Amino acid sequence: MTPLIVGLALVLLGGVAAVALSRWPSLADRAFVVLVVSGAGTALVPAVRVLLGATLATIELPTQVPGGAWVMGLDVLSAWFLVLILGVGALAAIFGVWYLAAERHHGGVPQTQLGLALLLVALGLVVTAQAALFFLAAWELMALACYFLIVFDHRRAEVRRAGLVYLVATHAATLLLIVMFGLWSRHAQDFTFGALAAATAELGPTRALLLGLGLVAFGLKAGLVPLHFWLPEAHASAPSHVSAIMSGVMIKVGIYGLLRLVVLLGAPPAWWGWTVLVLGAASGVLGVLWALAQHDVKRLLAYHSVENVGIILMGIGAGALGLAHRIPLLAALGFLGAALHTLNHALFKSLLFLGAGSILRATGTRELEHLGGLARRMPLTWVSFLVGSVAIVGLPPLNGFVSEWVVFQALFQAGLSRTPAALAVFGAAALGLIGGLALVCFAKVCGTVFLGHARTAGAGGAVEVPTIAWGPMLALALACAVLGVFPWVVVPSAARVAGVVAAIPAGVLGDLTAPAVSGAGTISALAAVLLGVTGVVAILRAAARRRTALAMSETWTCGYANPTPRMQYSASSFAAPLVDVFGPLAGVTVDRTAGTFATRPANLVLDRALEPAWRALRRAGARLRPIQQGRLQLYLLYIVATVSVLLLYLAVFGGAR
Amino acid sequence: MTAAPWVALGVALVAAPALPGIVNRTKSLLTGRRGAPVTQLYHDLAKLWRKGTVYSRTTTAVFRVAPVLLLATAAAAACLLPLDGRSALLTFTGDFVGFAGLLALGRFALVLAALDTGSSFEGMGASREGTFGSLSEPALVLCFAALALATGGTSLAGMFAEAPSVWTPAGPALAMVAGGLLLLTIAETGRVPVDDPATHLELTMIHEVMVLDHSGPDLALIQYAAALKLALFATMLVDILVPRSGLPVAASLLVWVTAAGVVAVALGVIEATMARLSLVRVPRFLVAAAILPAFAILLLLGSAG
Repeated sequence: MTPLIVGLALVLLGGVAAVALSRWPSLADRAFVVLVVSGAGTALVPAVRVLLGATLATIELPTQVPGGAWVMGLDVLSAWFLVLILGVGALAAIFGVWYLAAERHHGGVPQTQLGLALLLVALGLVVTAQAALFFLAAWELMALACYFLIVFDHRRAEVRRAGLVYLVATHAATLLLIVMFGLWSRHAQDFTFGALAAATAELGPTRALLLGLGLVAFGLKAGLVPLHFWLPEAHASAPSHVSAIMSGVMIKVGIYGLLRLVVLLGAPPAWWGWTVLVLGAASGVLGVLWALAQHDVKRLLAYHSVENVGIILMGIGAGALGLAHRIPLLAALGFLGAALHTLNHALFKSLLFLGAGSILRATGTRELEHLGGLARRMPLTWVSFLVGSVAIVGLPPLNGFVSEWVVFQALFQAGLSRTPAALAVFGAAALGLIGGLALVCFAKVCGTVFLGHARTAGAGGAVEVPTIAWGPMLALALACAVLGVFPWVVVPSAARVAGVVAAIPAGVLGDLTAPAVSGAGTISALAAVLLGVTGVVAILRAAARRRTALAMSETWTCGYANPTPRMQYSASSFAAPLVDVFGPLAGVTVDRTAGTFATRPANLVLDRALEPAWRALRRAGARLRPIQQGRLQLYLLYIVATVSVLLLYLAVFGGAR
Repeated sequence: MTAAPWVALGVALVAAPALPGIVNRTKSLLTGRRGAPVTQLYHDLAKLWRKGTVYSRTTTAVFRVAPVLLLATAAAAACLLPLDGRSALLTFTGDFVGFAGLLALGRFALVLAALDTGSSFEGMGASREGTFGSLSEPALVLCFAALALATGGTSLAGMFAEAPSVWTPAGPALAMVAGGLLLLTIAETGRVPVDDPATHLELTMIHEVMVLDHSGPDLALIQYAAALKLALFATMLVDILVPRSGLPVAASLLVWVTAAGVVAVALGVIEATMARLSLVRVPRFLVAAAILPAFAILLLLGSAG
């Protein structure tokens, strides 16, 4: 555990150094990068050791604060999340140094570096905290650090609004967590997770309430539909490397919370599993539909986070159903898929957000309809972004495919189980639809941003980003490829995570997950076959090319001689057929009024439910205003009235005491 | 491992271009024309392979890699299917996800290649291909799910090798799966009533307009990959409908080739007797392709318990 604490302290020190040395920017940047990367590397050592089978002692900090000791521990579940927090966090921090350099004249850059370090430390503490108060403190630190990162560009009103919505949402989650732990601890010795877990047997009906509260609170953080309303704006408004951490890592803390809840409370009832599964499927389908209608690249990526959280939750839901109906294989596969997709999504989503940051810096715009032709000008960004796209769509031979493959298997096993859980097999259709729609969405992004002709001068003048920016992207792309081609490297570790969550002993777990582990090996063979056949066809094709003539010309436009870049198919027109088909379901439309053709995105929950509700509340509040007259006599009257009512209450009902 | 799957793969690779020929010949005969010979595609492929290539200056490496990748994904997907009726070259639990993923990868490559040209015609084709592809994905998954429930298998080889032998209890469900797969075959291979390979108006095309800029050997690769994809779908239909796992290898292969030819004739009959659907109706067609296996699943779940 010592390396973990030293590592987190080094990360924090990096943030402090960025502020302390802010008069010497290049020195501050270097100190920040060196300290954050070495700190993350140090803290990764115990996490990886735990994943490979070591067990570490917990640390207890005796405290005078009520609620028992502050315990810090690193089990397999914590270690799994710690790896992605530190790995992705360090790479995003490196990218961030370059990304923020262009903003230095605005000020606020050193504070943002400190905020980023604080966020990473807080995330590390959230997943290692083993006591409720400690957990809540770390949770709140994470929420606040992230708020200050989101509002970095606070001169823009939309950013301030996004920050406010985020702050409200995250505190709603905190409040629910306080209620949850409060109700729970009434049955427990103290606030440590060990005591809370021991109290599970005495909870009675409270247990269902705790599961519901946890689902809403952690669902808010994870971006589960319909609690996702804060997510797209917040992720789009933050600086891109912060978006990468938020989308890749921070929302995963919500997933961690749900899994930890299952660990502490034991097998959840079937209704909980169904709720998670159905909401997961809804998040997946709606997330990608909303993304289809977007033409702001960062908002689009943010909606894909909603989609992928949906896929993860489908895994958790299937696993919970497996626990509820006592089907160990289903439980193991469901949680295995969820854990694996959490890691994979962290890798490819942060990669894509870093790519979006590069595009934004190189062209000055996030609007898809203003981009085009970047593949020639930014080849390294293009290759990384393409790898991330293929991975997020879930295509072989990259990592997204592997985790979706496991979730598919879980849903099929549910169908084969001959229990009420069998209906979950229809989740597979939702997963298939999600994959198909995501393919269209990323074909749209790749096609309009990187291929064809530049649609504006900004896109036409783009140049490739420097090493410090493409380095982290290429590293993440490499990780996606390695985990996709050699999934057996991580599948056993993910299976151990599933074993902890589903409380399956190691021996049984090995038998249950053996087909998945050996299948992961065959996926390598499949990747080799694909590579081999591609090679053979490419050689044949090259041979044919050598014998035949090659001519360069313009694109065929059916005889039209003078095409312009504006005549290219736009992102909106590309997505229009699907928006037309699914628009009524997702509340998105295609705007076809004179002179315009654009898909019109919507934030349904925020615009049509929360804001009207808030306005109604304010109107109702205005009706109450007459009781506030500002006259002392009236307030004295209120006090007298209140005291009389209370005395009356005690006189009538107080006798029992 | 025996030689049978390898021989079957070889047969599939060689015989695939005959299938579109059979479809077209059937359609011609039924509509009162003589039509091109069944081997027409072989001649076309040979001719295209000898021709030169024209590349647009707008295009990048994506445009050149896509045809190669398209064929490679179709060939790799063929390795997952039990072509000889017994076993596949590669089998693992959940390999149906790999099958669907490989076909989707090929589609992704071709769609990107179309967008690489910067042409609005090809963008339009790519958009349609992506739209209909994304709607056929859940239908394909549901077909596999129904087969898994009917046979208890969790790999393609397990499902398809068992499928013909469970007709007795699960007949209605399997018939619905076969119906769904037939609709999917039409949609995925771009045949009437979803797409018309013979149309000459770019605005109404789907698949053909997407590959408008490809020429010479690249176009040959794309057409060959399309024929191979048709062969794969026809094989899935045959594997459900025709029991051949008990036959000797040679007989099994003969039955397979003949039955795939019959599937092609059926497609030709459909082409000759139906008009093309308007583009806005195609999603309904694909929803029907999904509802059939969905009902099959409900039937299987109901009968089980």
